Amino acid sequence: VVRRSSAVVAVALLLAVVVIASAGAQAPSPAVVAATLDNGLRVLLLEDRRSPIVSFQVWYRVGSRNERRGATGIAHFLEHLMFKGTPTYGQGQFARLVEQNGGQDNAFTSQDVTSYYVNIAADKIDLVIDLESDRMHNLRLDAKDIASEREVVIEERRTRTEDDPGGFLGEEVSSMAFKSHPYGAPIIGWMEDIKRITPDEIRAFYKTYYMPNNAILVAVGDFKAPAVLAKIRAKFGRVAKGPPPPPVLAVEPPQNGERRVIVHKQAQLPIVYLGYHVPNQKSPDAFPLEMLSTILSEGRASRLYKRLVYERQIALEAGGDYNFFATDPNLFWFWGTPMPGQTPETMEKALLGEMEKLKSEPVTDEELQRAKNQVEAAFVFQEDSVHRRASLLARFELIGGYADKDRFVERLRAVTAADVQRVARTYFSDGKKNVGVLLPRP
Amino acid sequence: MTRHRPSCVLLVVLALLLAVPAGAAKPIAHREVLPNGIVLLVAERPAVPIVVVRAFAHAGGVLDPPDRAGLANLTGALLTRGTTKHTGPELDSAIEFVGGSLSTAAGRDGMTASLAVLKKDVGLGLDLLAEVLLTPTFPPEEVKRKTAQIQAAIKRSEEDPGTVAGRALAKLVFPGHPYGVPVEGTVESVGKLTRDDVVAFHAANVRPDTTIIAVVGAIGVDDARREIQARFGGWKPPAEPPATTPSASAGAAPRNEAIEKELTQATIVLGRQAIRQTDPDYFPLSVASYVLGGGSASRLYSRVREEGGLAYAVYSYVSPARYGASFSVSAQTRTAAVPKVIEIMREEMTRMMREPVTDRELRLAKDYLIGSFPLRLDTSSKVADFVVAVEEQGLGLDYADRYKERVAKVTAADVQRVAGKYFAPDAFNRVVVGAPKP
Repeated sequence: VVRRSSAVVAVALLLAVVVIASAGAQAPSPAVVAATLDNGLRVLLLEDRRSPIVSFQVWYRVGSRNERRGATGIAHFLEHLMFKGTPTYGQGQFARLVEQNGGQDNAFTSQDVTSYYVNIAADKIDLVIDLESDRMHNLRLDAKDIASEREVVIEERRTRTEDDPGGFLGEEVSSMAFKSHPYGAPIIGWMEDIKRITPDEIRAFYKTYYMPNNAILVAVGDFKAPAVLAKIRAKFGRVAKGPPPPPVLAVEPPQNGERRVIVHKQAQLPIVYLGYHVPNQKSPDAFPLEMLSTILSEGRASRLYKRLVYERQIALEAGGDYNFFATDPNLFWFWGTPMPGQTPETMEKALLGEMEKLKSEPVTDEELQRAKNQVEAAFVFQEDSVHRRASLLARFELIGGYADKDRFVERLRAVTAADVQRVARTYFSDGKKNVGVLLPRP
Repeated sequence: MTRHRPSCVLLVVLALLLAVPAGAAKPIAHREVLPNGIVLLVAERPAVPIVVVRAFAHAGGVLDPPDRAGLANLTGALLTRGTTKHTGPELDSAIEFVGGSLSTAAGRDGMTASLAVLKKDVGLGLDLLAEVLLTPTFPPEEVKRKTAQIQAAIKRSEEDPGTVAGRALAKLVFPGHPYGVPVEGTVESVGKLTRDDVVAFHAANVRPDTTIIAVVGAIGVDDARREIQARFGGWKPPAEPPATTPSASAGAAPRNEAIEKELTQATIVLGRQAIRQTDPDYFPLSVASYVLGGGSASRLYSRVREEGGLAYAVYSYVSPARYGASFSVSAQTRTAAVPKVIEIMREEMTRMMREPVTDRELRLAKDYLIGSFPLRLDTSSKVADFVVAVEEQGLGLDYADRYKERVAKVTAADVQRVAGKYFAPDAFNRVVVGAPKP
């Protein structure tokens, strides 16, 4: 899910992931009402009566990993077009109706999923059920809308990538790290593809992936679950089931040597990224990797901040990041921005030095316990927001089942310092690193 | 992640958070003034066992001496870097070991310490909060370290066209006022700051009689008062009265500035001084701004993004603050489209002066501004930020209700009248950051 576009964004995303990677084992809450409709739509409902609002989210199991070469960015392009109207609710109606009812909506596309949300007064939930069920199968995808939205997406790419040193470098490292798997392509797509993709391809993509049996609906808020479920059945139940989308077959082959890319771009400070292939949550190693990411980056007492930013003062920022929720095995990232006067070579060496330390000596009991406490506390903090509660249920449902979120904390609690050392030794080997360096041009 | 709408929307939401308060029959928070002048605000939210605290001191960048830009910012960043009891790393470890967070930072008007802890750790959290506000030691090596970090961050921020444009615009909109100077200062000004400056700034400006403490979460009024009194009750204000800052005077004649960078996209920002919530016209202005560029149904969003495909991000917003306010219109577009986007902005601003907005637009804006406030107060952090903001800006805890009443009364004629006052395109300063030619 996390693709860094700059070191700052990486920090924000990292925090987001840590928060996400934290579910409420402690705060008592009513049970989730789960159902699967006849058409395959998975529905998770959770009553939360503290504020008169609801977070209503629809997550489709489609992201940039489902794209083929030559058509990168199509999942994200389609996400934009989901706001362009249906025969029932014409151009601009979705946003207009949501705003008119005091709601806020947005959407995002990641490597693995495309997610839509509306946060709104709880008594407006019928409207949202109408709107979301309608655009699940009824999108207009008019050629004129596609033409103008294409230009919007191009502008978005300029903001995120062309004119952003961190985003620019991240894209280069990802595309180098993956030879076969579509995780190598940028979520927003290569500029050439965004310009080329045809309306027919977008319509076909919509038909292939947007269907109830490829989606998860989650709502958390001030409602009565049985009544809402009945309404969902009535509206979403009408949407026809589709043939299961084609599976992603690509498996990234083992990496057979160090890879390196050096980018020259107008910037003020260099950036160093390191990426290592690691397993996802299907592997038991995912839990020590998740702990490792927290130990390295969560807070000012975390290892990379304390050593590289605080003590040695060679980095303005430094961190490490793991995507526990990735659908397929992805990268563990390290990143650093050298302080003025420090070179990217020093930065890289310092990051590698920290990695060697992880391999040669176990993390301390204090570090490990702190990381566990941080993750557990984050699970409680996220209970404060209906939006985050809903997102978290969806994340766990996507990787196997929402109920796994309760086992997640237990599994993390069981991680030992030896586990952390073992995964560092297993995955952070010198011959398997992907290095990206951005050298500033004035 | 790649989003449908830009995260700048978040900025707008934040601006609205200040602009669009909430309300309910029941006051949003309990308020009392402690004997040493601290304003204590408590909002109990028992459901989740967490406590969020904001301590806001009137010690922002506005109080920087003219030749000491960045002093409040440096002071704020140093509060957690050592106290009479703990070193910086000890403070970090103590709070993070319990999964909490404690951070301090200065803004234009004030310095805020933010604490978030599990309920069981509230004693520890408040101990540390009191320490960093009352007894920071500003160790010389920490001053040196933080100075270098801030300078590096300023240097790096030159990469961000939005930041560059914002700084340039503030200077044009608020000439001669502290709001025209970046809170973080410049690489040069920060380089001249000394530990003595920091110590003096803290002693003079971080003081109980200008401090607001908001306690929100799983804690009741009596417990909150006792815990705060126990740690802050003995805090004495200095003998000298609190420093004051004049409100911004009218801006100079509007100017245009072009800042050349090697970019594929240009950032355009138009801005001028506006009014704050104490002016009755603030409410029609908020509605006018929403119609012009506030949401996804706004005129600028429709013409620039939906129809023109000219931008991913385009919006307008009012930014009220304690000593002045601004109104801005902004977009990012490909270099070649800069003249066209500026032309659309000017046309739409002029059209709002010339003709009344439609009933449909007026209703949408008012319904959104009034109807969306529960979303702005749905977490403890948002409630804490909100109650501090209304107290700090002197709006009263019932501001939410008044806001809703005032917005509900806005007519199309009001919108046209304030557009006449504030939307004249020639009265705007303009900054464009980007490549000179496509």
